[in-house]
This record gives sequence, structure tokens and C-alpha cells, in this order.
Amino acid sequence: MSLLVVFQIGIREIAAHKFRSVLSMLGIVLGVSSLIATMALTRGMEEGTRTFMQQLGGLELVTIAEKNPSSLKMDFANLSPGLTLRDAEVIRESASLISHVSPEILISSLVSSFGQSGTRERRTVRGIYPDHFVIRMHQIGAGRFLSDLDVQRGARCVVLGNTVAKQLWPDVSIGSIIGKKVLIGTSPFEVVGVLDFYQSEEQARMRRSGKTSMRWKWDPFRVKNEAVLIPFTTLFHEFRSGAGSNEKTDSSKRNDSTELKKSNETKESNKRNDSIDSINLDTLIVRVRDLEYFRPALDQLRKLLDITHRGVDDFDFETREDWFDRVESSVRAARLSGGLISAISLVVGGIGIMNIMLASISERVREIGIRMAVGARPKDIFLQIIIEGMFISLIGAFLGIGASLGLIEILKLISPTENVPVLSWEGVLFSVVFALLAGLLSGIYPGLKAARLDPISALRYE
Amino acid sequence: MSLIDLENVSKIYQVGDQEIRALDQIHLRIEAGEFVAIIGPSGSGKSTVMHLMGCLDTPSTGRMVICGNELSRATPDQLARVRNQEIGFVFQAFNLLPKLDVVSNIELPLIYSGVPAAQRRERARKVACEVGLGDRLSNRPPQLSGGQCQRVAIARALVNNPQIIFADEPTGNLDSATGLAILGMFDELNASGKTIVLVTHDPSIAARSRRVIEIRDGHIVREYQP
Ligand SMILES: Nc1ncnc2c1ncn2[C@@H]1O[C@H](COP(=O)(O)OP(=O)(O)OP(=O)(O)O)[C@@H](O)[C@H]1O
Ligand SMILES: [Mg+2]
Repeated sequence: MSLLVVFQIGIREIAAHKFRSVLSMLGIVLGVSSLIATMALTRGMEEGTRTFMQQLGGLELVTIAEKNPSSLKMDFANLSPGLTLRDAEVIRESASLISHVSPEILISSLVSSFGQSGTRERRTVRGIYPDHFVIRMHQIGAGRFLSDLDVQRGARCVVLGNTVAKQLWPDVSIGSIIGKKVLIGTSPFEVVGVLDFYQSEEQARMRRSGKTSMRWKWDPFRVKNEAVLIPFTTLFHEFRSGAGSNEKTDSSKRNDSTELKKSNETKESNKRNDSIDSINLDTLIVRVRDLEYFRPALDQLRKLLDITHRGVDDFDFETREDWFDRVESSVRAARLSGGLISAISLVVGGIGIMNIMLASISERVREIGIRMAVGARPKDIFLQIIIEGMFISLIGAFLGIGASLGLIEILKLISPTENVPVLSWEGVLFSVVFALLAGLLSGIYPGLKAARLDPISALRYE
Repeated sequence: MSLIDLENVSKIYQVGDQEIRALDQIHLRIEAGEFVAIIGPSGSGKSTVMHLMGCLDTPSTGRMVICGNELSRATPDQLARVRNQEIGFVFQAFNLLPKLDVVSNIELPLIYSGVPAAQRRERARKVACEVGLGDRLSNRPPQLSGGQCQRVAIARALVNNPQIIFADEPTGNLDSATGLAILGMFDELNASGKTIVLVTHDPSIAARSRRVIEIRDGHIVREYQP
């Protein structure tokens, strides 16, 4: 007996009881749609966090910052030179598990466009190495990034964040900003590049639809959009006194460099007598070469810095791992609870199908008797019932997929974060398989019951 | 060897603590090409012996060989195969599937012998024409008369070209004229070489056969040629 015939009989049987069959499918429809929606939601959460973190610099970003040494080492604290350019050089040369290093110093300075109308605002100016663009995952919107040459020469060029550029030249296209002059403090800098505008999915959506959100929200991309980036050396030589921020000045470990005060903000500080040990950094950001070796990379960093800091633990690593772990575990929890709900509805759906199949066979006892009398074997009857149950659940699964597509669209509209649900085909496949399994299991008992019928009593059945 | 060979066959039903001997140590042989009528009063065991010979049931004790198959202890699958290949059944109550049209009803046995769809419909149509239903192929049983229904049932019994046709009171639900037409078909079938076993309680119908077996209380009490 060919499967085709079994299918035909099944279709005919289901078609003959459309309403009943649809009712019995409801559980499967609910189960499948909630399963797919849950998987889309959690997938969206995961992907949202991932892209978000990618845009902020990814998991590979490690920030090294100064901290107070532990009380045990307090007495030796003076031995450590603090976070210096030496650290950056050592890491670049010796830390095999680190791919990019950018030592950074910051000043806060007035930034305005040269002789133009735009804003004149106090902004954070970063002195960086070109690796910064890789580590922070910047995209250039126009022009170019800073180069090694810019750093070597201490060139007076600047790369601006998109928002800064727009505020300085409100009515000009980004492309034509390249080459214009910016005043940082009193020094003119040439704009060589403008960065892309960074925004989350949700911000992009709101912007597209013309709505502007009135409520204040933490904008993780603000720092990137408001960046003012100049070569490390330029910042050091032009504004050094502003760089080693003032509250650190009284710290005893700072000696020669602290002498350079704001008053020394002149060209003659350009002389290169500063050894790299004496150039203090505000932060040092690095990129781990391979996430597989994240922990070893941190160990490597720690060992190197232990040497340069003479055993004083006055540095700390900031990573995003903990944050990501938290996100992961909440995604897991959401997936588990969603999956549980779906599993329950699929089980209930399966029971619904079993109920209908039982009703169906007790209605069809005579038919089963007739089929047996003309030569149907018990297994033919069993197969018939099983296939019918699976067929109902398959149709239910397809309706469920349809429902989930609608559900996901609705969720997209109301989902409050940038975690837009993402329909995953594994989810669809998984739920169809699950539904088929439910159909199969729920068909077994009615199928056995039908197959065990005795032909004679089945024929006599009224 | 005989087509049907029952040796010392009993069928015992256990109802509560009461034992009902529907058939009690029966010996019966039917050769290929015979036209046998089984008669007896109601409850004598006619249908029971039919069901055994028709492989719808197995004997409680005794030996049963049908078309060369020893079936005393047969599995349901073996019985199904013999029913499908060697036997055609015609029932008093027609036993057609009301939701299927004439052709689909007739092709039913072919489904379970694995005949491809096109061939199935072709053969079903041919047999339907032979029993005189060529113009009602797409009707469903509720749209047919009793006589026509029984023709469909006969066509279904014939479609897999079995050796034996069993008919349990095939005219019981028909008026006498229609009944006679149906009985005429059995005569023709027997003439064309089929073995016919017909159950009836009407002696005048039994008289159309070549051999009459009379059953009473589960025993064969008489056997004669009309
Ligand atoms: N499944 C069963 N359980 C118990 N007793 C049964 C069963 N089937 C048949 N019998 C009994 O076996 C006996 C023979 O029954 P059977 O159906 O063979 O009679 P019959 O000769 O065909 O009668 P009728 O002419 O009324 O059809 C009866 O006494 C009946 O009650
Ligand atoms: Mg009877």
C-alpha cells in the first residue's frame, strides 16, 4: 500500500471534517507560533546585543585604566611609573595575543570651526594611535582615518565624529568638510576625515518614521558620534599640560611631565627629550587577537604590565565579557521559558489531536472493518491513523508558521528595544519537527487501537 | 488438494463463564469450481463457518487450509493477505464505504495489494462495467439502489480476481426480483470457474447451488445435492 494512497485517504478524511480538524489543530498552531516567535525574540535579543557591542568595539576590546594599588602594595606605589607610553610599546611588541594597541590621552578643549558660524563648544579631544579606529570599529564617512605618518610627524589633522562635524558646519555635506579648518583651543587643525553616523536600529527606525523621541535615553553611540580624534603625538606636544589631568598633578609619582603646565602650551615644548616612560596615558585600549584566547590574552597583558609597573597593581582591565555573560544568561532564560510554554502547548495540541483521532476511529470502526475485510493489514490501518494525525499536525504547523509571521510583525512594531525579532529558519524547522513529533506520538495510541480491531466485530459495529 | 479444507474445526466463544460452541468439530471440504450453499436456522453457525473460511477469523481448535495456506494459527497479516488475494466477500449489508464513489469502492482491495493508481482505476472501471454499472461510476453508494449497491460489492469482490467468492445472505436486503438478478450473477461467476460459497436460510435459493450443506447448532447435520 503506497504512502500516496495513505495521504489521499488522510486528506479526504480531514477535508470531510474541516471544522473538527481545525479545532484539533489549534494547540499545534499555538505551540508552533509561540515557539517560532520565542526563538525569533531571543534571537533578536542576542543579535541586538551582539551588533550593539560590535559597534561599540566588540568583545575583543579591553580597556586598561589606572586604579589605586591594593593596600598591600601601597608602600611601593611610588615605584610604578603609572600607565605610560612604555606600556603601549611593550604590549605592541611582546603581547602576541593582542592585535591592536592604542595609547590615549584626553583633554577637554573648546572646539570651533575656523571663521565660520557653527558651534563653539567644550569637547573631549583624544590623542590616539591609528589602531584606535580598528579597536573602536570606526567606519569612515568621508576622507580618511589618521595614519602612522600623522602620528610620527605630529601632524595637525583631526578626524571628527559625525555629530561634531554636523554641528560645526550645519549646512554642508560631509564630503565638503574635508580640508576645512577646526580650532582646538587656539590651534588650527585640518579635518582629514569624518566618521559615519552611528545609531541603533531603534534610533534609525524612529528617524526614518520622522518621530523624535521626547524621552531622554542613554545613547551608547554618543561618545563615538562626538569624537574629536587627533594624533597622539600632536596632542601630547600641543596640549600636554592639559593631558595629564590636574588632579593627578599632585600625585607624587608624577615628576618631570607635571612641570608642563598650561602656560607651557607653546611650540617649544615640541622638543623630544621626553622618554616614553615619562609620557603618562589616560587610557590604553587594546584589541584581543582571538576571542578563543581571551583569558590567556589578559594573563599575558597582566604579566607584561607587572614588569613595567614593577609589581605594583595600579592598573585594571575593563572587559565586556561580564556584560555579555549577563545578556547571554537572560537570553537563555527567555528561551527556556518560551520554549517551555511552546512545549506545553504542543503537548496539549498533541492531546487534542489524539482526542480527535480517537473520535474519528470510533466513528470509522465499520470503515476499518471493511478495509480489513478486503485485505488491509493491521499495519496499514495503523499507518493510516498515524499519517492522519501527522497530517493534522503538519497543517497546524503551517498555520502556526503563518500565525508566527504575523506575530513577529506585531512584535516588531511594539518591541521596545533594538532587539527586533529575527525569524530563524532553524526555529521554523525545529517547531515543524516538534509538531510532527506531537502528531506522531498522539497518533500511536489511536492507531494501535484501530489496528487491533477484530474485522468481524468491526464489520458488525453499528 | 481441496481449495478449502476444515478438519475437526471448532469455534468456541466465551461469554462470561458461559461457553458457546458456535461450531463443534466440523469437517468440510470444498473443491475448486464448486457452488456450495450453506443453510440452517438463525444462530446455527452459518456466518461463523463463513468467517473462518473467509479468513476473517481463526478457529479455536482444528486444522484449516485455505488455497494451500495452513491458517489454523495464522497471524493477522497472513489472514489479510489471503483475504486480499484469494477471497472475495459479498455481505448482506453491502458494506460499502458511503463517502467513496463506485470506482473507489471497487478498487479498495487493489490498494492493499499495491497496484498503481492508474491500473487500479482501469481495472475497477472494467469490473464495474461487467456487473452493469458502467453508467454509475462516479455515484456514491447512498445514491444507488440496493441492487446496484450489491453489484458494486460483487465487483469489489471480483476486482482482485480471487478464486473463491463468499456471499453471506447476499439477497437478504433485496426484493425478490433484484435478488434473482444477483443470484444469476453468481451462476455466471460459477460457470466462469469461480468457487462460490453462499449462505442463506432460504431453501429455494439453496436449490440453485450444486451442493447444499445444512448446519444446526454448530454441527453439519445434512449434505445433499439439489
Ligand atoms: N462474537 C461472539 N460472541 C459470542 N457468541 C457469538 C459470537 N458470534 C457468534 N456467536 C454465537 O455463535 C452462534 C452462531 O452464530 P452465527 O452468526 O454463525 O449464526 P448464523 O447461522 O449466521 O445466524 P443468522 O442466520 O441469524 O445470521 C450464535 O449462537 C451466536 O450467538
Ligand atoms: Mg449470519
